[in-house]
Amino acid sequence: MNDERKLSRSTRFPRWLVSGPPLLFLLLLVAIPGVIMVFASFRYPGEFGGLAPLAASDPQTLHGFTTETYRFFFSDFIYVEVFIKSFVMALATTLICLVMAYPLALLIARSPKRSRNLMMLLVILPFTSNFLIGIYAWMIILGPQAALNQLINILLGIFGAAPVQLLFSPFAVMITMVYVYLPFMVLPLYTNLEKHDPALLDAAQDLGANAWQRFWRVTFPLSQPGIFAGSALVFIPAIGMFAVPELLGGIGDIMIGNLIKDQFLGTRDWPFGSTLAILLTLAVLLVVWLVAKLSGRGGRYA
Amino acid sequence: MFSRKDNIHEKHEISVADPYMNYRLPFRAFRVFRGLMFFAFLVQLNCAHAEDVLHLYNWNNYISDTTIARFEKQCACRVVQDYYSDNEEMLAKLAAGATGYDLIVPTGNAVEALIRQRALRPLDKSLLPNLNNIDQAYLNTVFDPGNRYSVPYAYTLTLIGYNSEKMRELQLPVDSWAVIFEPRYLEKLKGHVTVLDSQRELLAAALKYLGYFANDTDETHWKKARDLIIRAKPYWAAFNASSYIKELTVGNIWLVHGYSNDIFQADLDAQNAQRGFRILAGIPKEGAVLALDSMVLHKSGPRPDLAHRFIDFMLDGHNSSELTNLIGSGNPNLAARRYIQPEIAQSPAVFPDKTQQENLEMLRDLDRHQRRVLSRIWTEIKLR
Amino acid sequence: MRRGPWLWAAALAAYAFLYLPLTIVVIYSFNDSRLNAEWVGFTWHWYHELFHDEDMLIAAGNSLLIALIASLSATLLGTMAGLAMHRYDLKLLNFMVLAPVAMPEILLGVSLLLFFIQVLNLTLGMLSIVLAHITFSIGFVAVIVRAQLTSIDESLFEAARDLGATPWETFRYVTFPLILPAVIAGGLMAFTLSIDDFVVTFFTAGVGVQTLPLRIYSMIKIAVTPEVNAVSTLMMLLTLGMIVLASRIAPDVLKGKV
Repeated sequence: MNDERKLSRSTRFPRWLVSGPPLLFLLLLVAIPGVIMVFASFRYPGEFGGLAPLAASDPQTLHGFTTETYRFFFSDFIYVEVFIKSFVMALATTLICLVMAYPLALLIARSPKRSRNLMMLLVILPFTSNFLIGIYAWMIILGPQAALNQLINILLGIFGAAPVQLLFSPFAVMITMVYVYLPFMVLPLYTNLEKHDPALLDAAQDLGANAWQRFWRVTFPLSQPGIFAGSALVFIPAIGMFAVPELLGGIGDIMIGNLIKDQFLGTRDWPFGSTLAILLTLAVLLVVWLVAKLSGRGGRYA
Repeated sequence: MFSRKDNIHEKHEISVADPYMNYRLPFRAFRVFRGLMFFAFLVQLNCAHAEDVLHLYNWNNYISDTTIARFEKQCACRVVQDYYSDNEEMLAKLAAGATGYDLIVPTGNAVEALIRQRALRPLDKSLLPNLNNIDQAYLNTVFDPGNRYSVPYAYTLTLIGYNSEKMRELQLPVDSWAVIFEPRYLEKLKGHVTVLDSQRELLAAALKYLGYFANDTDETHWKKARDLIIRAKPYWAAFNASSYIKELTVGNIWLVHGYSNDIFQADLDAQNAQRGFRILAGIPKEGAVLALDSMVLHKSGPRPDLAHRFIDFMLDGHNSSELTNLIGSGNPNLAARRYIQPEIAQSPAVFPDKTQQENLEMLRDLDRHQRRVLSRIWTEIKLR
Repeated sequence: MRRGPWLWAAALAAYAFLYLPLTIVVIYSFNDSRLNAEWVGFTWHWYHELFHDEDMLIAAGNSLLIALIASLSATLLGTMAGLAMHRYDLKLLNFMVLAPVAMPEILLGVSLLLFFIQVLNLTLGMLSIVLAHITFSIGFVAVIVRAQLTSIDESLFEAARDLGATPWETFRYVTFPLILPAVIAGGLMAFTLSIDDFVVTFFTAGVGVQTLPLRIYSMIKIAVTPEVNAVSTLMMLLTLGMIVLASRIAPDVLKGKV
């Protein structure tokens, strides 16, 4: 801050010239739409979609502002349930990603320097393609005609259990979500683990700690910032997901994303869709705040 | 000192958002190069033509390529199609400001909605001499009395589709919605049944089975239908939009709540693959939903002249029959019948008889309150 | 040394998890059957179909055009934002740049849909998609540029001032050459973000304009054919080639030193 002031303005463009255009653009396309959405959530839906007018000459027609969407949301526990379910799904995705990503990131971080880039490249490579391709791949693998499902059913048959269907099930949704978000977890974990000083582990070994203790007492606590960063990167996009439950989900798989999408592109109920979107925003902000708190506390290990 | 502390504090605030980018960057960077492959596609792209163009917003796979080609030749113009797979989707997209369509092929309730929105252009019937070919039963509907705006194109029924061998083996009835909703039948079919992923259609089937009208809007009846669906749900494999066609063909799904033309397609595929079974359609005795799709002119369309020519062209018996022969759709065109393959013409799903016709219902549009309540019921159905 | 067999096993399993699905997509793109179930025989048929699928080619063209316009605009605005974020303590700008990136994409999608229709009364299409793509790309460019600026020695600017350079000259001869790699990297990233985007495009596209991801989505949803496998395979193949090429030309990009 002091450095900035010290440099005279003569070498700088005026502040408004540099910051003005991007700020204006973002205010117009991020802030205003956000505000519009808040207002929209207090409106009535238009008869054929969109929003009902603010003012109407005929007092019979619905117009003006209302809190009915919020009352409607809380009039039935069902919507809170969808939020809880999405939350649980996103959390489970995050935890599974963490469990899968950790050994991988650890192995890469402990590999010789020259092979690290290649190993990271191998993690990144599958995700250079669109996530829809990943969804499609799992539709094939989990399909009822595919070898995996048939093998499982043969095994189940031996034990006398009823055959199962893998595709269009919560299992399919879960595995695909993990697949889509796994690299978001590996990258920050690796970046963190790579910085660890091996001397710390040596010291722990000299003090008589076994491999298990070395991990839980040294490596794991030190990697907490990476864990939190990775978790946020997985959790936040995962909670808004709608494509995976829609394409791979079964009879009960619905998340907030599906609900929001449906209000805008199916039911033509924009005010209620806006309400759901705003409540999702609040939920995400709450999680971000919590994670920031937690990671702040975890920081003492570093 | 103070400013330093401020800085740390600020870092903290954005610590969650910041890594979001820093860590995403490296592997996002790889995506860069993928983009270049699209240059390869660009080379292939045709230049824009400066000729007469008819913009058609139609259901997916709802016209034969030969028919299109014939019309293009006849009018020396080009037909550009966009597709939708759901009336709601089409209405929502039009509500969202989509313009430039000369011709749309909406279902009855969507025709009504579009008329009330004043989104349609009235027809000039002097340009449509072939209108006489249409069966009176499909004219003058509640959606468009006097057919001022719409002309019937084709129809589909929402029916029971089934695997002929499996259903015979299990000795289950195929002439009642009971087989879709009653656990005593479903027990034998667990995991081999799919229903449509459509709020209106599924609710209509349940209402029909309960003895109500498909257009019933009484909330207590809706709740009964909801409970019926929730009770049957554990036996179903999925809510499905269209992939049930393939599932029927390969013999994985034995029974569906589906559209007549999809069931027809599944049967064709099963025969071509010599699967040893047929996929047949059953009209439930309780009645079913008839979706009459009509051609309408959208106000935003720049070429009503071409659109009228197209409508009259499609009202010609031969042209109209091609769609039925292709996808097994119901045909309201009397002049078309003699061009339709005999086996298709015999199917009750294509030409229901008089008694069956009486039990068929066309869905009306819902108002905003009903839409919201239905959406909640649907959420409950999905979640429970 | 500290890479025990268990660690190896877990890591290999994770690698297999990553690669098995894509391998299967590639294999079935050569399968002479509409169903992605059993192996029937080898064929080029689906690639042939792909290159004669006019809708797919138009979608690819749209994607490319949108990505070009959006990434160029986002690079300009993002670079400015990066410079401003580095130099001035603008809390509002920081927030505005990061917000669209840190939120679930669906929120940006629906709020823009509302805005375009309700306020601008804009017909959804190319323009709305381009505007939406610029919006979420600015943040990425800005962060890369800011990161690069942080690594530059401030005394360089002081030297420029002492030598009597005008703001424009300082930018043209000192700042710009130093941040150019970051600007290019940011632009390329904006390009790929745009060409890859599904969620925001889904809400802002309207009906008339199809992009490649939208096309793939509707193919998966409505009628799955191995054409999807073919287009996916081509995309992956090209990525692989480009990455090999890139690692030769600019090793730093690969190491994530942006």
